[in-house]
Amino acid sequence: MINFHSMPVILLDRLPLPSLRAYTIISVVLLSCSVYYAVQVTSDPNWKANATAQTDDDSDAEVPDLEETDIEVDSQNVSMGFQLGEMVTFMIQEPLCIWTLINMAYCCLILLGKFIQKLVFGELRVSEQQHIKDKFWNFVFYKFIFVFGVINVQYMDEVVLWCSWFSVLGFLHLLAQLCKDRFEYLSFSPTTPGWSHIRLLGLLISILILSGLLFLICVAVGFFGGFNTFAFMVAECVQLSVQTLHVILRYALHLYDMRQGSTGTAGGAVGAGAGRVWERRGPLAYYSELVFELAGLLLDLVHHLHMLLWSNIFLSMASLVICMQLRYLCHEIQRRVKKHRNYLWVHNHMEQNYPMATVEELAESSDNCAICWEKMETARKLPCTHLFHNSCLQSWLEQDTSCPTCRMMLNIQSPVAMEASRHIDHNLLAGEGPDNVQNANRRPPNHFFHFDGSRYVSWLPSFSVEVTHTQLFRSNQAQPAQTSQLDAMARQVQQLFPHVALTTVIEDLRVTRSVELTIENVLDGRVVAPPPMFQRDSDPPPQVPEVELITTVATRNEPTSWEDLCAVAEIRDVSESVETSANLGGRFSKSSAERERILQLRKDQLLMAARRRYMEKHRPAEPETSPSETDQKDEMQQDKDDDHIINASPNSSLRQRHIDS
Amino acid sequence: MAGSALRRLMAEYKQLTLNPPEGIIAGPINEENFFEWEALITGPEGTCFEGGVFPAKLIFPPDYPLSPPKMQFTCEMFHPNIYADGRVCISILHAPGDDPMGYESSAERWSPVQSVEKILLSVVSMLAEPNDESGANVDAAKMWREDRAEFNRIAERIVRKTLGIPTP
Repeated sequence: MINFHSMPVILLDRLPLPSLRAYTIISVVLLSCSVYYAVQVTSDPNWKANATAQTDDDSDAEVPDLEETDIEVDSQNVSMGFQLGEMVTFMIQEPLCIWTLINMAYCCLILLGKFIQKLVFGELRVSEQQHIKDKFWNFVFYKFIFVFGVINVQYMDEVVLWCSWFSVLGFLHLLAQLCKDRFEYLSFSPTTPGWSHIRLLGLLISILILSGLLFLICVAVGFFGGFNTFAFMVAECVQLSVQTLHVILRYALHLYDMRQGSTGTAGGAVGAGAGRVWERRGPLAYYSELVFELAGLLLDLVHHLHMLLWSNIFLSMASLVICMQLRYLCHEIQRRVKKHRNYLWVHNHMEQNYPMATVEELAESSDNCAICWEKMETARKLPCTHLFHNSCLQSWLEQDTSCPTCRMMLNIQSPVAMEASRHIDHNLLAGEGPDNVQNANRRPPNHFFHFDGSRYVSWLPSFSVEVTHTQLFRSNQAQPAQTSQLDAMARQVQQLFPHVALTTVIEDLRVTRSVELTIENVLDGRVVAPPPMFQRDSDPPPQVPEVELITTVATRNEPTSWEDLCAVAEIRDVSESVETSANLGGRFSKSSAERERILQLRKDQLLMAARRRYMEKHRPAEPETSPSETDQKDEMQQDKDDDHIINASPNSSLRQRHIDS
Repeated sequence: MAGSALRRLMAEYKQLTLNPPEGIIAGPINEENFFEWEALITGPEGTCFEGGVFPAKLIFPPDYPLSPPKMQFTCEMFHPNIYADGRVCISILHAPGDDPMGYESSAERWSPVQSVEKILLSVVSMLAEPNDESGANVDAAKMWREDRAEFNRIAERIVRKTLGIPTP
């Protein structure tokens, strides 16, 4: 109970409300007062006659008086059950008592919520609290509009009934929202303990069951309240169950994913089988997602339409709010449908144009899928010969139309883009269709982007290379597909020898037609760069290996100043910590706690090493050349060497300029 | 799908731990949230940022690697391509669709074959050779062009600050 006091009341933080503890105490006191009052009144055998005689304003005065009267309940010999029944009927009739009862019910509900929160969620995260608050006020706002704007309730009893219905419903809605948030958070971690999954799933399933019970209540109410009331209530309740089911399904898929991931890495025959299931899982997950999202939106739409058409006051604030909500829902549905059309389009396009890779091709590439970094059991092949998982490629092509690896533009036009272009050019579109592959092949790749192993500036404009140079040779090339193959081969070679210009490599590959032979040629120095005049402006600049990030500085022995003393002390520190954690490098622990610890240690070491190096570098100047000068000399020497090999690259000249300055 | 993103991030983390590039360390701050990493980047040799160890935060989207992560330095930075609040402005961190500056071709943008390692190496190169055409920090870009000595002085101060060495 002490915790309640310190913890902010989760739901009602914005209003200056008492803490949950104070609220609970007040509610309990109020309830006991009213119970005591009821007992006092009903202990009088002929209270019913009195009650009719008494007016309401008396009851106000009655409450403070109660505290003074003595307790004489025990002396009564009326049977307990009878008295209890009497008491309850009295409390329900008495307006003051019924309010304390209702208050107590809310208090219990909040306490129950708190209990569930403690049991299942523990401390709520800030974003979860925010979501809950937003959802709560949103819910209150819309239900207020519903009760007073749409249904236009006249009698207090009805208001109370609707309120209790919405309280329960809102409570479940908030819990479902909390579950959803927490699930999304848990799915961000690879090391969530199993029991927290079980608790969360348990709560979700109980919400689902409760929403089923609410459905039964709806049916019961529908018998008496008529069809409209039934429809209103059912819509809410089905919405809740759809949402909950959606979360449960996503959860199940996630858990399946994670399990698959761990068995997948185990490899072997099991892994192969799992991989095939994996491929089929993509569309399944997508369609279930689609169905649930659309079902939720459509239900909401129908519910709001129903509210708009059956509302008692047609032109009012309430109908305006509902119209706004309707507009939003229509927009959402439209967006979702558009997205789905794009999905279908990409799917069909891939089916028609990009064949599945053959077993030989898969064996040949033996790479992992570049998108998910996992092994490929099956794969789709793009015209540029790059292979990807079917589902990985699909999700990428939904948002972009180029090959992820080489950035070759694929000839995809989504229906949306197509509509736009139809206005611009009809002729271009005439060629669109089954011969897309050839189009894609025929079209020179207008982008060339190379990262692998280059470890170099990828963002500099000089490095974004348009492969217009392939057009140069395209006329000699009988089959255009070979150009991209050549490119791929050239890139392989370049990975090994980043200093050799791409065009040079391609030239040599054109002769040798083999990566191995070209590599040999490069190693033997048989590959020479063509004279600069033949290089086109758009050629990729030769990639100079980055100057080593860290050079080791020889440690010196004699400390000369206070600063050096510090440095020496730190060196000792570092060497000690290096000794204690000598097995840090080259190890990837299985336990997350250990991984975290090792990472922290590595960070500390890096920082300390950097500090030490800095101290040594900036010691007072000494007669012999300082290390930084020799470094620079080395660097310049290296640059000059590079210049010999390659034709002055913009980067080396840049560095030269830098050093000069 | 967070599941596949998680597996990919785990693979990248493993790779970065087993074969770390020189002077770069990166990993999730707390494994409860695998989508928020911290990286330490050593300033490249022979540049004004030499020797500094710059901490940065990487926030991954749930659909990583389809969308790029966001990167933000958590220490003070003064660089033409880094915003005043530490956000890094390089083209490979921009999603293929958006183009805040309006001058990058899609080839320079994010693609799922990129990785944390490549981003961090790009950032190292960016530290070495600022691109003063895309001015995320206009003051820094101007100073880089016109008053290199002052720029170097500020960089030196920042380097000392990251190492926890008081400026003389």
